[in-house]
Amino acid sequence: MFLQFLFIASAFLTLACTIAVLVTKNLMHSCVFLLGTLIGVAGLYATLGADFVAVTQIMVYMGGVVILMLFAVMLTGGKDFVSRAQTLLGLPATMGNKWTYGLGLLVGVVFLLTNVKLLSNIITTLPTAEINNDFPSTVSRLGHLLVKDHVLAFEISSVLLLGALVGAAIIARPRKHN
Amino acid sequence: MMSLASYLIISLVLFVVGLVVMIARKNIVAILLGIELILNAAALNFVAYSRYVTNNLDGHIFSLFIIVVAAAEAAVGLAIVIRFFQIKETIHIDEATQLRN
Repeated sequence: MFLQFLFIASAFLTLACTIAVLVTKNLMHSCVFLLGTLIGVAGLYATLGADFVAVTQIMVYMGGVVILMLFAVMLTGGKDFVSRAQTLLGLPATMGNKWTYGLGLLVGVVFLLTNVKLLSNIITTLPTAEINNDFPSTVSRLGHLLVKDHVLAFEISSVLLLGALVGAAIIARPRKHN
Repeated sequence: MMSLASYLIISLVLFVVGLVVMIARKNIVAILLGIELILNAAALNFVAYSRYVTNNLDGHIFSLFIIVVAAAEAAVGLAIVIRFFQIKETIHIDEATQLRN
């Protein structure tokens, strides 16, 4: 019962905020709606019994990525919303025009129909495993997997994060000349 | 109600909306938002299959690494956006023509 309620609330939050990311006119609102989408996906992880992934999603995405995006919006916004002419949809020019929206919706519809056709075969023929609803904690098992089976990927991801940190600092550093 | 099919459909909607955002928007930060949506759709698929089909934790590991890669990608991408804004004073994607000729 609790899981059903959590699933319905999370799915509604995810879908509504995702559509809002697509149609909103303001980039700042778009970032905040992305936050709602990520909270909904974390709730869906919780309904799947993935407690550690849900907490990691909340910490990394909401604590890190969305804050970073909001900083980028605030540091780079400004002129585009004021000086550029508005397009026919009433959107600011940087948020797309009717041609890009038409092309995007066409691609989206084609991709959606293709995947519905594929998924209809997959869903009806899928062998499902035994489902138990008493979610045990996954943290200790995930820890063992990370340092036993997947230790190479773990180390490579640490090098990746170090490279991303240094690279982001080098790319965004202020330059005196030019 | 809670079955593999519903999770796959939610993930499909996330992916399609991310794709449409990437195509329709002309703002670089908005395109990065679309990439985040697509990565979330992939991670949700991994966890759903890991619960309903394989019944082990390898899908969770994949989702964790997807989150790590998304964080690294967002850091580097937003650094590039801020550098681009310092040079061009805009983040309109049509202004990024320095490699054209």
